[in-house]
Amino acid sequence: MLETVKLSKTFKEKKAVEEIELYLHAGESVGLLGPNGAGKSTTISMISSLMKPTSGDVKLDGKSIIKNPSEIRKVLGVVPQEIALYEELSAYENLKFFGKIYHVAKEVLENRIQEVLEMVGLKDRQKELVKTFSGGMKRRVNIAAALLHKPKILILDEPTVGIDPQSRNHILETVRKLNEMHGTTILYTSHYMKEVEQLCNRVYIMDHGRVVASGTKTELLSILSTEDTIQIQLSKKSDSLLNTIKAIEHVRRVDETTQGIRIISKKGSNILSDLVHAAEKEGIQIIHFQMEVPSLEDVFLHLTGKTLRD
Amino acid sequence: MNPVFMAQWMKDKRKPYLVLLFIGLSIIATLIFGNVDSMGRTTVPVFSSETGDVKVEEKWVQLLNNHDSFEFVVMDEEKAREQVKEGKSDVALRVMENDYRLVTASEMPIVHLIEQHVLQVFTEEAHLAAVAGDIDTIDLRNEVEEYMDSPPIKVQTQSLNGGDISNYDMGMQLLFAFTLFVAMFTIGFKVNGITADKVSGVWNRLILSPVSKTKMYVGHLLYSFCVGFIQISLVFLIFNYIIGYDLGNLAMILTIAAFFALSMVSVAMLITGVVKTPEQFYMVYPSIIPIIPVVSGVYMLPGTITSPILQFIGDIFPLSHGVEAMIDVALFNAGWNDILLPIAFMMLIGVLAMGIGINMVERRK
Repeated sequence: MLETVKLSKTFKEKKAVEEIELYLHAGESVGLLGPNGAGKSTTISMISSLMKPTSGDVKLDGKSIIKNPSEIRKVLGVVPQEIALYEELSAYENLKFFGKIYHVAKEVLENRIQEVLEMVGLKDRQKELVKTFSGGMKRRVNIAAALLHKPKILILDEPTVGIDPQSRNHILETVRKLNEMHGTTILYTSHYMKEVEQLCNRVYIMDHGRVVASGTKTELLSILSTEDTIQIQLSKKSDSLLNTIKAIEHVRRVDETTQGIRIISKKGSNILSDLVHAAEKEGIQIIHFQMEVPSLEDVFLHLTGKTLRD
Repeated sequence: MNPVFMAQWMKDKRKPYLVLLFIGLSIIATLIFGNVDSMGRTTVPVFSSETGDVKVEEKWVQLLNNHDSFEFVVMDEEKAREQVKEGKSDVALRVMENDYRLVTASEMPIVHLIEQHVLQVFTEEAHLAAVAGDIDTIDLRNEVEEYMDSPPIKVQTQSLNGGDISNYDMGMQLLFAFTLFVAMFTIGFKVNGITADKVSGVWNRLILSPVSKTKMYVGHLLYSFCVGFIQISLVFLIFNYIIGYDLGNLAMILTIAAFFALSMVSVAMLITGVVKTPEQFYMVYPSIIPIIPVVSGVYMLPGTITSPILQFIGDIFPLSHGVEAMIDVALFNAGWNDILLPIAFMMLIGVLAMGIGINMVERRK
């Protein structure tokens, strides 16, 4: 349905996005993951025709939209990262305004406004001014404004940044319903791994303007199929023990975490006895030991060398 | 275009204070500063710091007191300076044998009027002294006055319509100047809505909608024009029908106001093209706007500003053209043909500023 072909964007000397290749099938929910500055918002701006790419193409049903963006604009709903609303107007007035600019027919607009307000759970607060809303409520109106014209594709750019857990759950539930019940194709960007895991069928991981990995959750996790992740907690901190562990055969990576030490080693290499020996030698006790099932967070760490919030 | 226009209206409907405040400001400023003619006689303290000063003071006070609006009163120097310092008098006059100095603490229009009168009296006396030579100027003056009772040539002046030429009404000029000046702020702050929309992301939403960019701009700019024009019109209607000013042909005055508002929308758009955020606009715009009336000379009597550079800078902005056209209509009964040139200037400024402004806004990433 929607694809990008070697999509690139350069600002002066800086390459913000480099030869990105994405595709979205109709009815699919796709996640775009990456830390701040990875190029997610620039990619979305080019896909939604707000920004012209330096090179490459965006195709909708096989047709380029670069020269004729009106085609994609008809079927696209964009939820921007910022609260793009008139704060001095009420939620209802904002939606009426956006409905009118999207040429939603007068006779259906009223019903449609009530439908989207119901969807985002703000029907009973519709007459209140947006500026009096909490951050989460504003983000929900922000989403509602993008749904008025019933878009076939919905792009959400980090819609849950800086909001309370209740509003986040509401937004995630709304997006899930849109995808599963209404068949809306979703492109969801976030740097919250859990949200993407929960919502999306497929994931693209971006870093430094490039796609570093893509696929379903299972496919991405298989990247770590050759490794074991072990989490240990020690009675006290020791740099020399950390160095000793790093020197153990088959150990590929050792990271200090808030819970203790995370060790990534070759799959099936039994390093437990070596660990116990090393700790005993330093006079340190291993309080807790756990073999971890790898998560997408581990995949991201493995691919980029940093966590999503770095 | 309609939804964009209406959205701006909905916002202002809840907060009309800015426009109402500016309307009030126009009226108050005109009443305070513009009521020059109806203030009655203004007393001007006169003193001399030279020895034998009583004679000098008496001579000049007698000559100066031939004006209907000013009364020159001899006063002790210390008391005269005290009066100016305390604001009881706008100006005091220090007279010398053949010269004078004005003592003032303000740039009120009345000071300029007094200065003009004093300069005229002193210049006249200097001419008489030059002609009289050794003869007493009082005798020569009497001689001239007698001669002027039956002059050899008599010049009669009348207006284009055959009536008397009306006196120049500074109060009327200040009414136009203050009203247009305050409207410049209202218009600018409304045009700033475009930058606010760009920063908030609403502008991008509009771009993604079926509404064309032209309609987006027209919606915003038309609203700014309407607010500015309505504000000016309200002030003029209040002065014409309630306060009792005779603005002449009101239709023509409002037409000029419409062209002024249109060209000011363009100037504000040009400044919008320079700044990046609404906050920057709030900093830059109010720093530039108050300079315009001063450079354009709309607070002063015509002809006060003689520097060609200042005159050129004043002509770049629509204010001087707007005030000039309005004065022509209100004071000199100018017709449609007479105001075509200032209107054309305002249109030219409008087209150029709008073209450059939109181009700059669109080029900004």
